[in-house]
Amino acid sequence: MESSILDSLGVEIIGVMAPVSICMFLVVLLTYSLSVTSDPQIRTAANLIYIENPSDSATVKLEGSLANAIVFVVLVAAVTFILVLLFYYNFTNFLKHYMRFSAFFVSGTMGGAIFLSIIQHFSIPVDSITCFILLFNFTILGTLSVFAGGIPIVLRQCYMVVMGIVVAAWFTKLPEWTTWFVLVALALYDLVAVLAPGGPLKLLVELASSRDEELPAMVYEARPTVSSGNQGRNRGSSLRALVGGGGVSDSGSVELQAVRNHDGNQLGRENTHNLDYNAVAVRDIDNVDGNGNGNRGGVERSPLVGSPGASEHSTRVGTRGNIDDRESAIDEEMSPLVELMGWGDNREEARGLEESDNVVDSSNRGIKLGLGDFIFYSVLVGRAAMYDLMTVYACYLAIISGLGCTLILLSVYNRALPALPISIMLGVVFYFLTRLLMEPFVVGVTTNLMMF
Amino acid sequence: MTVAAGIGYALVALGPSLSLFVSVISRKPFLILTVLSSTLLWLVSLIILSGLWRPFLPLKANVWWPYALLVITSVCFQEGLRFLFWKVYKRLEDVLDSFADRISRPRLFLTDKLQIALAGGLGHGVAHAVFFCLSLLTPAFGPATFYVERCSKVPFFLISAIIALAFVTIHTFSMVIAFEGYAKGNKVDQVIVPVIHLAAGMLTLVNFASEGCVIGIPLLYLVASLTLVHCGKMVWQRLLESRNQSSASR
Repeated sequence: MESSILDSLGVEIIGVMAPVSICMFLVVLLTYSLSVTSDPQIRTAANLIYIENPSDSATVKLEGSLANAIVFVVLVAAVTFILVLLFYYNFTNFLKHYMRFSAFFVSGTMGGAIFLSIIQHFSIPVDSITCFILLFNFTILGTLSVFAGGIPIVLRQCYMVVMGIVVAAWFTKLPEWTTWFVLVALALYDLVAVLAPGGPLKLLVELASSRDEELPAMVYEARPTVSSGNQGRNRGSSLRALVGGGGVSDSGSVELQAVRNHDGNQLGRENTHNLDYNAVAVRDIDNVDGNGNGNRGGVERSPLVGSPGASEHSTRVGTRGNIDDRESAIDEEMSPLVELMGWGDNREEARGLEESDNVVDSSNRGIKLGLGDFIFYSVLVGRAAMYDLMTVYACYLAIISGLGCTLILLSVYNRALPALPISIMLGVVFYFLTRLLMEPFVVGVTTNLMMF
Repeated sequence: MTVAAGIGYALVALGPSLSLFVSVISRKPFLILTVLSSTLLWLVSLIILSGLWRPFLPLKANVWWPYALLVITSVCFQEGLRFLFWKVYKRLEDVLDSFADRISRPRLFLTDKLQIALAGGLGHGVAHAVFFCLSLLTPAFGPATFYVERCSKVPFFLISAIIALAFVTIHTFSMVIAFEGYAKGNKVDQVIVPVIHLAAGMLTLVNFASEGCVIGIPLLYLVASLTLVHCGKMVWQRLLESRNQSSASR
């Protein structure tokens, strides 16, 4: 009996939704179990201006958090522009190392702090040496998995989710009003940066595709794993064909055909990756060489223009380093990642069809979702978790459906789209509706054992 | 210990739907999407309803008729929404069928349609359990429990979990009944679903009487099992029919 089309429809969407759901679930669990041991306020790039005080009046909070959000977005935008600049002048290797460094730092310091608080909270008996070795191994593996070839895609996906969780868990410590304003501001920024002409992410994407170059960034790739095989590809294209509506012309189907073949090759390569590590290693060395040459050329071409950006960046980090040991580490670490969120890339084969970016790209290799989207979805849900479980469910559903809408739009427009706006807006709206309208209703009804 | 109790309550309410989800729904991504969208629809309906009723809250705790009114309006609204859901599904089915023709794969089988209906119902049921039972469970994980006066023998969380289980069953399978009824134009099936829903909602009003839950909950389970039996019979019949048809056409 032939399999029905139902078996294969929507695999790609679920491939993106599942990790996002896992990430949100774990963040909620973390905030739930650790909320008792709430630290004093942390200071990050997201609340440079104003530190919220529960006793402040509403207007003070409003103005302060608005200022915080604006400063944060401006900071993010500035760093994204620096990254675009660096990429423009071919500092690809520097960028890659920078990403690796921030991956190392995020999983090392922030992840370490979270592990510590978990250990303390559940009084897990573990000695410091073991703990250190475990943490070190974990961190190194994470750093390697970010850009190195020859590492199973599953591992990279896991680490993307883990890093999303770690950063989101830190961000949930922001005060309430600031969180909401920052989320909304970021959603707006995302919209502008990806869609407006001259937006930094759009520039980046166009730059990368015009150069046929891969771009280092932290992006979750919902690539079908090897086991699901070639079929997975067909599914993705079938989704697009389905959403595309009736008029799939001949040329359209030819294109789909080509995509399929290409993916077949890709999956084949994937297999060899897993089976034959040596061969892959050799190939990777070749790749690195190629990149190195290209970059050296770039550096030689424009050493002067390139360096101001870099030094500016280091001074920024340096000044902030003065503030206070631990806090500054957090701070510093946070901002790079946050900036990363602005990023996407097509790291595959320089085929550079449409670009992914903050967000999503379903071109030929499965959908890609920026790490920042993971983070801020989870921040929203984590913030909702501090109020009640009901708001968590409502926000989760809202975000997931927003993501679904974005994915459908993606298959219609077939270009990079921002993933934050729809989801964050829906999430915020549902949060307040649930909190203000639904909760008194539901609680009032159920405590009288009335249901329907 | 209380953590175990909390998890237990959650599993009482959602255990059967969880196993249904794992064994049937999670295999097919499209069904997962159906569950999610139907859950969202139910949430939206709940938000709209609570928006309508918000000015009248809190209701007086000792008069029962406002609650009856509330249940009736809610059931009517949700049944209207179910019809809307069916309309959307119908269009989706057409799209899927034409899509299947285009890539020359078989059209939706009967089992596929039934599964989509089941997923839609499960979404409604899960949303009910989540918002009426699970979201109130937070205190259950804490160091104490909570009893309501009217049903003083059993903890509130346990009662709400048990009621939620009945409603999950009713919602899940009445969606299958309703979709089949709409598809075949069967008036009895079309009418029986709102009736079941309304009856179940009204039966919870019995809890309003002191210790009324001793009577109300068994009655509720009677309704739930009737739904289950009716759905089972109907699906069995349909499967036999379609098997006969396909063997006849072969």
